[in-house]
Amino acid sequence: MSEKNREVILSRFVITLLVILALNFFLPRMMPGDPFSTISSDVQGEDVIIMTEEQREYYSHYYGLDLPLHEQFVVYLSNLVHGDLGKSIQYKMPVTDVILLHLPWTILIVLCATVISTIAGVLLGTISARNRRKGSDRLMMTGLIAFAEIPSFLLGLILLLIFCVFFRIFPLAGAVTPFAHYDSILDQARDIAYHAFLPIITLALAQLTGVYLLTRNTLITVSTKDYIRTARAKGLGEHIVWTRHALRNALLPVVTRTGFMIGMLIGGAVLVESVFRYPGIGSTLRTAVVGRDYPLIQGILLVVAVSILLCNLVVDRVYQKLDPRVDE
Amino acid sequence: MPAEQTAVNINIIKLPYRRGTFTHLANTYAKFSLEGKIGLFGIAMILMMAIFAPLLSVYPPGKITGGSLEPPGPDHLLGTDELGMDIWSQICYGARMSLFIGLAVACIAGLGGGALGILAGYLGGATDQLVMRSVDVLMALPSFPLLVVISAFMGPSIFNVIIILVFFSWAKPARIARSQTLSVKKNAYIIAAKNYGATPWYLLRRHILPEILPILFVLIISITSYAIVAETGLAFLGLGDPTSKSWGMMLNYATGFRSIYFTPYWQWWLLPPLAALIVLLLCLAFISRDLERVLDPRIRQEGGS
Repeated sequence: MSEKNREVILSRFVITLLVILALNFFLPRMMPGDPFSTISSDVQGEDVIIMTEEQREYYSHYYGLDLPLHEQFVVYLSNLVHGDLGKSIQYKMPVTDVILLHLPWTILIVLCATVISTIAGVLLGTISARNRRKGSDRLMMTGLIAFAEIPSFLLGLILLLIFCVFFRIFPLAGAVTPFAHYDSILDQARDIAYHAFLPIITLALAQLTGVYLLTRNTLITVSTKDYIRTARAKGLGEHIVWTRHALRNALLPVVTRTGFMIGMLIGGAVLVESVFRYPGIGSTLRTAVVGRDYPLIQGILLVVAVSILLCNLVVDRVYQKLDPRVDE
Repeated sequence: MPAEQTAVNINIIKLPYRRGTFTHLANTYAKFSLEGKIGLFGIAMILMMAIFAPLLSVYPPGKITGGSLEPPGPDHLLGTDELGMDIWSQICYGARMSLFIGLAVACIAGLGGGALGILAGYLGGATDQLVMRSVDVLMALPSFPLLVVISAFMGPSIFNVIIILVFFSWAKPARIARSQTLSVKKNAYIIAAKNYGATPWYLLRRHILPEILPILFVLIISITSYAIVAETGLAFLGLGDPTSKSWGMMLNYATGFRSIYFTPYWQWWLLPPLAALIVLLLCLAFISRDLERVLDPRIRQEGGS
């Protein structure tokens, strides 16, 4: 049974990956026009072909564009395997290098946001579940649910206006102070944290409600179980009952959720980074879009999509390890 | 004669189901919570704003009618943007844009996806397999990055944005409609009706649709907010229709202005579309939560206390 389950998950992963690769490959080829007419004309719709037919054939052969589509696809895949994503038009360097340059910043804020929203969500959820049906629980429920409806980049814009523009506490853009000289590593870390603070908080707030609701509702379900009554009956303190007996059993879905959250956060980071001009992969995507830098757009899509898929795959595996009942 | 008698009897039995639409709506409204009523009121206001935009605004939204970046005043209610266009009228006309895109996507995706789901559930077999495998793949695809890439290649236009958003949002209604159809199909009364010679169309109209429509309706509202958020996000990244003045495009122009944060301009250029969007999304959320509670308690997953 377990083997079959694993196969289903893996095959779904492979199919989804293939769909993304195919989209990435065919989209630009389905569009009207071809690289030679765009290279040789400035005005759209006016195809001035400067190249002779011979030159055209030569370059077409040089770039492998005269091959049948399926062979081109194979070439594309083998380039991908070798880590070659083409060359960025704006940055004048390989797409892989551009992505590697900006990816660490995105990973930094996404991971921090995941940790913060998970801890805060579990904490608030526990408080809410313990005070179930009291005023504080009602207030938190209504407030946090309404809060969750505001998309992360609009939330980021609000925070930016309040803290950067009105109070001028936090910086408006960037990940480090330009031309700064640091006395120590600690100093540098402080500067990075100072710049990353608002993007991280924005992303964390956007995911907080999900974790909160999940923790609260699972805890409420768990707290009606017999073993909780047993724990109370043998005289354990209320605090120990909640933390050791209830929370530990309620955390399982939260673990799964955390993995999916990373995926959603990477998607959300695209817009949030643009709001804060944070130099991660999302801001790069916006510049690439504005400059119509197609190889870079495709490369970023691929990296983002594959990392989201991998997160989901890992979550499935971890969940199976944590909860052997899944297979049954 | 006996046949007619039966027909009359059936009609009498049917009566309670044939309540007027108006009473039904009124009942639904009465069950709404305070938040839901606030949401309905808010949506009504925004709808009015969208419909009566030409009456509410003095200036056309795309014409230069004043100086550049004028602060709010008697001439221009909310001031002007960098080109001297009136911001209040952009907000009014922008409501049209956002609502139109949201509702168009939601109706096409909700009804189309729902129809596919019902078909898959009813027919089963190869159709079911085909629809469900596509749904699986679509649900696994990371939607926002793909949205960005596809719209970057297809070019910015309202039509393209709607098509792409429909493509990414029909999966959920299809899945839910299918599972509902499957569970309805198993009921004894359906089998009985079939044995009495009911045609598939009759079964669909009398038994399956009434079960599924309320759920689809709730989904349509949540797809509307998804589409509005996605359109705003795309516009914010610079992938909206440059000829349209949606609220997302306003955000894009305002945040793209070089020194917006160092000048007081953000107060009347950036805040109005931001506030409008947040009010719209909150109202939609309030309505959809209440509708979910009132119309169908079965699909409520979160927030059960």
